[in-house]
Amino acid sequence: MYSKEVERILLKVQKPGRYVGGELNSVIKDKKDIDVRFAFCFPDVYEVGMSHLGMKILYSQFNTVPYIWCERVFAPWIDMEELMIERNIPLYGLESGDPITDFDFIGFTLQYELSYTNVLNMLKLAKIPIKSKDRPELKNIVVAGGPCACNPEPLAEFIDIFFIGEGEEVDLEVIELYRKFRAENKSKKEFLIAASQIQGVYVPALYNVEYNNDGTIKSFTPEEGAPAKITKRLMMNLDEVFYPDNFVVPTIEIIHDRAVEEIFRGCIRGCRFCQAGFLYRPVREKSVATIDKQCRELCKNTGYDEVSLSSLSSSDYSRVVELLTQLNKWSNEEKVSISLPSLRVDGFTDDIMSKIKTVRKSGLTFAPEAGSQRLRNVINKNVFEDELLQTCDTAFGGGWSKVKLYFMIGLPTETLDDVAEIAALGQKVVDTYYRNPNKQKGRAVSVTVSASSFVPKPFTPFQWEPQDTIPQLHEKQQHLKKSITTKKITYNYHEADTSFLEAVFARGDRKLCKVMEIACQNGFHFDGWDDCFSLDAWMKLFEQCGIDTAFYANRRRSFDELLPWDHIDYGVTKEFLISECKKAYEAATTPNCRQKCSNCGVGKWKGGICVEKRQSMV
Amino acid sequence: MRNVRVWFKKEGTAKYISHLDLNRNMLRIIHMAKLPIWYTEGFNPHPFITFALPLSLGFSGLRESMDFKLLDDEMDLNEVKDRLNKCLPGGITVYDVTEQVMKPARITYALFNLKLSCDTVNTDELYEKVRELFAMDEIMMDKKSKAGIKEVDLKENICKFDIKNCESYVNIDVILPAGSMTNVNPKLIVDALKKFFDIEADFEIVRVDIYNENVESFV
Ligand code: SF4
Repeated sequence: MYSKEVERILLKVQKPGRYVGGELNSVIKDKKDIDVRFAFCFPDVYEVGMSHLGMKILYSQFNTVPYIWCERVFAPWIDMEELMIERNIPLYGLESGDPITDFDFIGFTLQYELSYTNVLNMLKLAKIPIKSKDRPELKNIVVAGGPCACNPEPLAEFIDIFFIGEGEEVDLEVIELYRKFRAENKSKKEFLIAASQIQGVYVPALYNVEYNNDGTIKSFTPEEGAPAKITKRLMMNLDEVFYPDNFVVPTIEIIHDRAVEEIFRGCIRGCRFCQAGFLYRPVREKSVATIDKQCRELCKNTGYDEVSLSSLSSSDYSRVVELLTQLNKWSNEEKVSISLPSLRVDGFTDDIMSKIKTVRKSGLTFAPEAGSQRLRNVINKNVFEDELLQTCDTAFGGGWSKVKLYFMIGLPTETLDDVAEIAALGQKVVDTYYRNPNKQKGRAVSVTVSASSFVPKPFTPFQWEPQDTIPQLHEKQQHLKKSITTKKITYNYHEADTSFLEAVFARGDRKLCKVMEIACQNGFHFDGWDDCFSLDAWMKLFEQCGIDTAFYANRRRSFDELLPWDHIDYGVTKEFLISECKKAYEAATTPNCRQKCSNCGVGKWKGGICVEKRQSMV
Repeated sequence: MRNVRVWFKKEGTAKYISHLDLNRNMLRIIHMAKLPIWYTEGFNPHPFITFALPLSLGFSGLRESMDFKLLDDEMDLNEVKDRLNKCLPGGITVYDVTEQVMKPARITYALFNLKLSCDTVNTDELYEKVRELFAMDEIMMDKKSKAGIKEVDLKENICKFDIKNCESYVNIDVILPAGSMTNVNPKLIVDALKKFFDIEADFEIVRVDIYNENVESFV
């Protein structure tokens, strides 16, 4: 429950419902029974954070432990932030309303690089020193996990502990260790050293980095017995892993307001630009029976009338038709609709189409990512033009008339001709509509072509690639715009500026900590929001700190360079990534994990798809 | 099929649920409570519910109501109450479920309770200023509506009032026009203090009751 001081400002801000808690299924505990308090911080606004599945899982799981009370904290939007600063109100937990300084753990989930300034800003609003070394006591331990923790270096001076990989087990092991060490009056240093021995824990303060004259890394040395390689944690049996039977149900509208059921982790595909596709290997599926049971529980305990079956590529679930058939047995009667996001072009069959209704509302979305077949081979996006057109044809015949196509520009080896082919592909989709005899009478087709800018990410085969410069990206955007000649196609593109900053952070090293620190002092926040982001302001800051951004974003790195994240191990070997990168230059594709194992390295854990029998593929 | 009226309180954290969000939440809650109620027909069927009188964001309400058609004629209304209470967010409690006696169109007035306090002036002074305000011949205020900004005389709209000095705050009970014809927001009293006396008061506003044209409680 928020304080009286907060109550007095709530009617002065937009959407006060963001700041009050009290939602159905939010967890209130008696402080007397609690040993460890965990502030789960999402470095973005409530509506974004509450839509995030990982937070829901860990919130529920932590709160099933009787001695832990986990609360939610979101970044206050700028109007609220201003009033909180003006009235000296520190950042607080939504459940208790207590200031964050009262918490043992302050945990951040790092979903996108542009939220880094919000991480630091939230610490500042909580009146907690942002640098790890300025928090000498065994309390307010700042931890972070999530996909961006795969290159933790730009935040190395601020975070005490990074969790590498999936959090379900390792988080609790660290909490338990903390509880024990606190009871024994041990120091924070002793705690961190002991924690570093747990698999999946990275304590950046225990590593010393030296640089070469050209700014690249010379050596990376562990101290105090910390491991030289930090290996990710992962859960092998998803039928046994904890999954919440309820979600906190927001009263204000959020981005994804529905029940979400995770159906598998990982992705069989291996698209070469996709970080998640490599970080979460191998594919591990939940059984149909588990998914069915969990979906029913979630609907019962939340009242949602929509369940979204979530994964990186839901139509790749091996028994998708069986699953939908099972869910339809009760969902129709209970007035619950099932949605299948992230559909692949080849996953949209008549059978699936008849079993999911909700797609109709929003239109169909596909991500060919590149316009030409050559470039799709480069990125290993095994989607073919005739498949895409065939699928669109099926959909048009089934009553759809809206299609959204997602592309990336600035991909390695891309030429202006490849860019023009994006427009050509859009045109072919339009033509397919007009050729279809069964299309909705009297309705015009609407094709949206969205182009984002490619950002090279760690742990992908493109981790060595330069990003196109902003002027290069602008040129390609304009070229695409010129190449579209029909009004039936709507063209959207993302600002190249934010992709550039993302590229700097994504492959940054510890030298960026200084910039982060000053950014925080200067009040930078919400870089992911147009309202706040300013590339000019960032460029001034980089200059002031003597940082050459091109070194991080636009430089081709050599295969033998020691990369800032080379001490982190997600199972996929560097040799595999190098061979994938070389294959990309030859426009050669790699079969997906279900067709054939390509020995990426993850097989050493002997689980998931790596040990499944493969049927001979058609 | 039976027309029922669900009576609930909306306070605490629920004060910050807007009317639009309340409607959305109630649809989900009814679905969750598995109440046999009448759904709209058509492409996207949903439970058909209506609210007697929307409540402004930030106000508490002690006699809020929502109407729907219950398909099961035998169902005990206490059970309707219990099932809903299990599904509601913090701050909303259903305290009664009844027949629909009056039509919502008859709502004409509402009784509000305001508690005012201020950092810059003490309660005694605030109390004097409030009394002064209510004693003015006219209190012309800008009122925002869909049609734009319009001047209203708050004074002539105040049907009945009572002001008390309660040491730490000033207590005002006031009846104002409410309903589909005219609505006067009690927040205008707070705004008037700012306009005429430059006092920025903190306020808590509760809608205590809702009345028909004869100032009888809406039932
Ligand atoms: S080891 Fe083989 S099957 Fe397993 S994730 Fe790697 S490529 Fe796929």
